[in-house]
Amino acid sequence: MSLRDVEVRARKTEAIIALAIILATSPIIIGFSLIILSSFSKSMVTNFDPSSFHLTLENWINLLQGKSAAVGGLKENILKYTLNTAVVALGVSLVVTLVGTMSGYAISRMNFRYRKHFLLLILLLHAFPGSVLIVGVYFIYRLMSPIAMGSITTFSFFYVIIARASLEIPMAVWLMKGFFDLIPWEVEWAALIDGASRLTVWRKVMLPLVKPGIAAILLFGFLAGWQDLIYVRTFLAEKTLATFIEYNLGTLEFAEMPLVAAAATLYLLPTIIFFITSQQLLLKVSLAGLKR
Amino acid sequence: MERLKAISKYVVIGIVAMLIIIAAVAIFLMQAPPAGPTKVELTGNFEKDVVEVGKALEANGISEVTYSVWAAGDPNSVMRVLGIVEATNRINKIWSDNNINVKIRIDTRFEREFMPLFEEYLSKQPTGQASDFLANSYIYISTLAEEGYILDITDYVSKYSELVNDFYPTIFESVKWKDRIYALPQDTEARPLYFRKDVAACAGLDLTSLADKVKNGEFTWSGIYNWAKQAKEAGCADWGVIHRKGSAHPDLIQFIYAFGGKLYNPDTGKLVIDKEAIYKWLYVEWKMARDGLIPENMMEWDWGKQIHPTVTGGKTLVFIGGTWHWTEYQTRSYYTDPTTGEPRALTAEEVKEFFYYTLFPAGESGKDPVTLSQPFVWTINSRAGEKNPNYDTLKELYHELAFLILVKASDPDINAIHSIISAHLPVRKAAAQLIADENWVNKLKNLEVDLSDEVKDQIRDIVAATVNPINTEFLANVSYMLDYTHIAPIHPLYPKLADIFKDAVDMVLRNQKDPAAAVQYIIDTVNADPDLAAEVEIIGEIPSEWSYP
Amino acid sequence: MKYKLKDFLRNKKYEYLIFILPALILIIIFYILPVALSVYISFTPLKNWNLDKYLGTIVGFRNYERFFHMLQYDPIIRNVFLTTIAFIGITLVINVLGGLLLALATYFVSQKFSSVFRTLWLLPRMAPIAVYSLVWYYFFHGSDIGTLNSFLMYLGLIKKPISWGYDIIPWGPWSIIIFVNGLVGVSFGMIIFTSAISNIPKELVIAARVDGASNWQISTKIFIPLMKWHILYVTTWQLLSLLTTYAHIFLLVQWGLVSKQYGTTWSLYIYQVAFTGRTDQGLAAAAGVILVIVGGILGYITLRILGFERMITKPRGDI
Repeated sequence: MSLRDVEVRARKTEAIIALAIILATSPIIIGFSLIILSSFSKSMVTNFDPSSFHLTLENWINLLQGKSAAVGGLKENILKYTLNTAVVALGVSLVVTLVGTMSGYAISRMNFRYRKHFLLLILLLHAFPGSVLIVGVYFIYRLMSPIAMGSITTFSFFYVIIARASLEIPMAVWLMKGFFDLIPWEVEWAALIDGASRLTVWRKVMLPLVKPGIAAILLFGFLAGWQDLIYVRTFLAEKTLATFIEYNLGTLEFAEMPLVAAAATLYLLPTIIFFITSQQLLLKVSLAGLKR
Repeated sequence: MERLKAISKYVVIGIVAMLIIIAAVAIFLMQAPPAGPTKVELTGNFEKDVVEVGKALEANGISEVTYSVWAAGDPNSVMRVLGIVEATNRINKIWSDNNINVKIRIDTRFEREFMPLFEEYLSKQPTGQASDFLANSYIYISTLAEEGYILDITDYVSKYSELVNDFYPTIFESVKWKDRIYALPQDTEARPLYFRKDVAACAGLDLTSLADKVKNGEFTWSGIYNWAKQAKEAGCADWGVIHRKGSAHPDLIQFIYAFGGKLYNPDTGKLVIDKEAIYKWLYVEWKMARDGLIPENMMEWDWGKQIHPTVTGGKTLVFIGGTWHWTEYQTRSYYTDPTTGEPRALTAEEVKEFFYYTLFPAGESGKDPVTLSQPFVWTINSRAGEKNPNYDTLKELYHELAFLILVKASDPDINAIHSIISAHLPVRKAAAQLIADENWVNKLKNLEVDLSDEVKDQIRDIVAATVNPINTEFLANVSYMLDYTHIAPIHPLYPKLADIFKDAVDMVLRNQKDPAAAVQYIIDTVNADPDLAAEVEIIGEIPSEWSYP
Repeated sequence: MKYKLKDFLRNKKYEYLIFILPALILIIIFYILPVALSVYISFTPLKNWNLDKYLGTIVGFRNYERFFHMLQYDPIIRNVFLTTIAFIGITLVINVLGGLLLALATYFVSQKFSSVFRTLWLLPRMAPIAVYSLVWYYFFHGSDIGTLNSFLMYLGLIKKPISWGYDIIPWGPWSIIIFVNGLVGVSFGMIIFTSAISNIPKELVIAARVDGASNWQISTKIFIPLMKWHILYVTTWQLLSLLTTYAHIFLLVQWGLVSKQYGTTWSLYIYQVAFTGRTDQGLAAAAGVILVIVGGILGYITLRILGFERMITKPRGDI
C-alpha cells in the first residue's frame, strides 16, 4: 500500500522523489547492464564509447563449447559447471527449507523450556565471523573425509551443501516463524484435540497453510546456494560458475573478458528470472516474514 | 491391513540387512591381500621398467589406473597438462603392444594463475582432493617438500642418469631441495628486453649490435634512460619503459641482480636484503616515473587492455617482457589494426619486424647483464594414485608408475613442441636439437608428428598460429641467454619478501615514498613480522654518492 | 525397545526436540565446533594446512604475540585495522540511512513504481558474488576503460583517469568497498522499514495530510518516532553483519581492483592469511578469535539495548 491511494496533494513532489530514486538506483542498473551487453560484444563495453561495442555471438558460442580462450587453453565443460552450481543450489535449498520449516514451527507454536535459549543462540549466530568459522569447518571436513575415500567428489558436494545451508539458518528460522505466526491457533487446536501428534499436525495441517512461505524459503535457499563462492572454492572438488569466473579473471593478462562476461550473464540468469517472476512473493515475504 | 504393515516392515528390515552384508563383503574384498608384486626394481631402461610395472598391476587385478594433473599458465602452455596425457597414451600403447591389459586415464585441469593454484593444492592435498601431478613454479618445491606433500624421487631418478644428464645443469638445480630431488623440469624461459624497432628508428637510435653491447656490459640502464628520454621527447612514443604489473617477482627482481646484488645466502640459507642494489633499483623506477618515462600507476595497469596493446601498438620504446610474449602476441588480439580499427593478433612477420631483443642490461658500468628464469617443474603428490583400488598395498607401484609417466612426459619431442608453441625454452639438449631441426619443425606445422589424436586435436589451433620458422629462429636466438640467467631464491618465505618489494615499487612509482624511504619501508615491514625477520639478512648501505642516469 | 522410543516421541514434553534437532545439529557442527577448533588452532603453529605435522604442538600465545607485534609495527596490519573501522562506521550509516530513505521515498510514490525499484535494490544482495564483483571491477577500474572514469571524462570533470583503488589513499579504496557493500546492505533496512511503515495505521497519515503536513513532516514526526525500535534493530544487526562480512570484497582485492592494505577488512584479512599468501592458519585463527570476542561483546550489547524480550514474542502472541 502507499500513500498514493489517498493522496490529496500535487503530483510534482512525487515526480521529484521518483527521479531521486531512479538516480540512486542508476549505478546498479548501469553496472549490470554493461556486463550483459559486453557478453554480446567483441570487446568489453565499459564506458559510454559506442565504438567499443562490436556485436558478436562468438563469446556465447565459445563459452558453450567450453573454450576459455580464443586460441589455446583446455576445453572446459561449462554445462557441467552450471549443473554443479545447480546441484549445490538445490541441495542448499532443500536443507534450508527442511531446517526452517521445522525450527520455525517449533519456535512459533511450541512453548518449550529452552525456547528462549534456542532463539538466543540463533540470534548470536549472526555474530560469528564466517572467515573464522571456515578454518574450523575445514578441520571438520578433514576429520570427516576418510569416510568418503571412495567418493571424494560426492562427499565434497554433500559437505558444501550442508555447510552453506547452515549459514542460512537464522534467515530460514525467522522467515518461517513469521509465516507460521500468521496461522490462527484454532486450526491447529482442532487437529491436536483429535489426538494427532505434533509431527503429523505439522506435516498434514500447517505446511500446506504456509505454502507461500515454503515457496519463499525454497527460492531464497536456492539463490543462496547458487551464489556461493567461498565454500565452493574451498571445499568443492569440482568447479562451479563462480569459481570458473574467479579463475578466469585471475590473471587479467590472459582473461578473455567478454567471454567471462558471457559466463557472468549465464550465471546471473536464475537471479533475473526469479526477480521477474516473484514480485508477488517478495511482497508477501516482506509483509509477513518480518513480524517479530 | 495390520498384517500387511507387519510383513512389509520385516521385508524392509530384511532388505536393509542384506545391503549391509553386501557392503561389508565388498569392503572386505577391496582390501584383499596383493596377488602380485607390490614393487618393481627400476633399471633405467624405460620400456622394460614400464612393462614390469604394467605386469605387476595386472597381476594385482588392476585394469585401469586414474591420475589427475593440474597446471597453470598462459593459454598456449597446455602441454603442461597435455604432456602428461601424451605420456600416458604412449605408455598405454607400450602396454597394449606387450599384451598387458591395463590402461591409464588422466583427468586434467588447466588454470591461468599458478599461485592461487598452488594455494589450492596446499589446502586440498591433506584432504585427498589435490591432483597427482602438479606443474607449477619451482619456487614452491621448498614448501611442498617441507610439508611432505610431494614425493621425494631421488632414488628413482638415480636409475635414470642418462635422462638427468640431458637436462641443462642450472635448470636441474631448481628441482632440488636440501640435496634431494622432488621434481622433473618442465620448461623455462628467459626475460629479454624488447625494443620497438620503429620507435628507435623514429628517434634516431641505432639498434645495430645493441644485443652485443648489452652482453658485454657496454650498454647499461643509464643508456636505457637516455634512449627512453630521447624517444619520448622526439614524440616517437608515449612511454620509455613498460614492465609487468601486480608483482615484483620475477621480472623486476632482475634489477637486483643487474646491480650486482644478492637475494639469497647459500651458506646460511637465508634471504638477503641488499640495501645498495635495491636502492639503485628503486631509484631507476622512481626517476623514470618522475620524468614520465614509466607510468606512475604501472603496477595497476591491465595486461589485456593496457600493457599489451601499448607494447604491440608501439607506444613504448622498451618492454621488460618474457620469451613467451613473442608467440602470445601472435595468438591474442592486442593489436589494433591501423586500417580496419579492429583488434587482431600480430603475424609472425610483424612480430619480427617490430621487436629487437637483448638481455636485461647491467644496472651500471662494471656490472653484468642478466636474465631471469623461472623454471616450471612437474611434481608428484605424495599420495599419488590414492583414488585407485588397493592403494594401501600397491602404493609403491602407483608411485613408480607416476614417476615413469614423468619420465615419458620429458620426452624430447614433447618438450620441444611445448617450447615452440608457447615460446618457452627447452629444458634438455635433445629437445633443443629438435627445435633447431627445420625438417622436424615443418612436420610439426602439419601435425605430422608422433602424437596421439586426442592431444593433436587440442593443440591444433595453437600449432597453426605459432609454428613457423620465425618463431623457432627466435627461440634459437635467445637460448644464449640461459648462460646469463639467474633463478630467484628457493626459500619458503621468498614469495612473502617479493610481495613486500612489489609494494615498495608501487610506492616509488607513485612518489608516495622516495627510494631511500622505500628501502626503509621494506626493512620495517620485514622486521614487523618476527618469523620473516629471522629468515632475512640485511647487508649493505644506501650509497650516498650515486647518481642516475 | 520400539515401544519405549515411541513413548518418548509421544511425550509432549520432548516433541519439540524433533523439530529443532536438524537446526541444532547443523549449528553444533558448523558454528560451535569450528569456533572451538579455531581457538585450539590459534595455540598451534599450524601452517600450510599440515594438520598432521603441527596440530599436536602447542605454542602457547605465540600467535597472539605475533599478531599484536604486527599490529604495532607492520604498517599493513595497522592499515587493515583502520580500514575495518572506517568501513564499518561509514557503511553502517549508509545502510541504515539508505534503507530508511528508500523505504520512506517509496512510500510516497506509486505502488508499482516502488515495488519495481525495491526489487532492483535486492539485486546486489541476490546476485552471485562473482558477477557482482565483476560489475564493480569494471565500474571502478582505474584506467580509461573504467565506467566511472569514462563517464567523468566525458562530462569533462576530470582530465586523466583516476586509479580509484590505489591513487587516493585511503579514501579511494575505502569508498569502493563501502560503496560495494553499502549497496548490498541497504536492502536489509529497506525491507524492515518498509514493513514497519506498512503496519502504521493509515488514519494517522491521512489525518496529518488533511492538516497540510508535507512528506518530510509526516516522515519525521510520525513514521520515524514510531520506528525507533526498528531503526535500532537494523543498526545493531547491520553492525554485526559488517564486522563479519568479507565475501563481497574478497574478489575485488583478489583481482587487484583495490590496494590490498586499504581494501581488506579484519574479516577478510583472516581469510587471506589462512588461505593465501602465508597460509598461516595459526595466525589467522588468533586474529579470528580476537574478532569473535569483539563480535561477541558487540552482540551482547546489542541484545541488551534492543531488549531481548522484545525480540522474542510469546508463541502466537501479538506485536
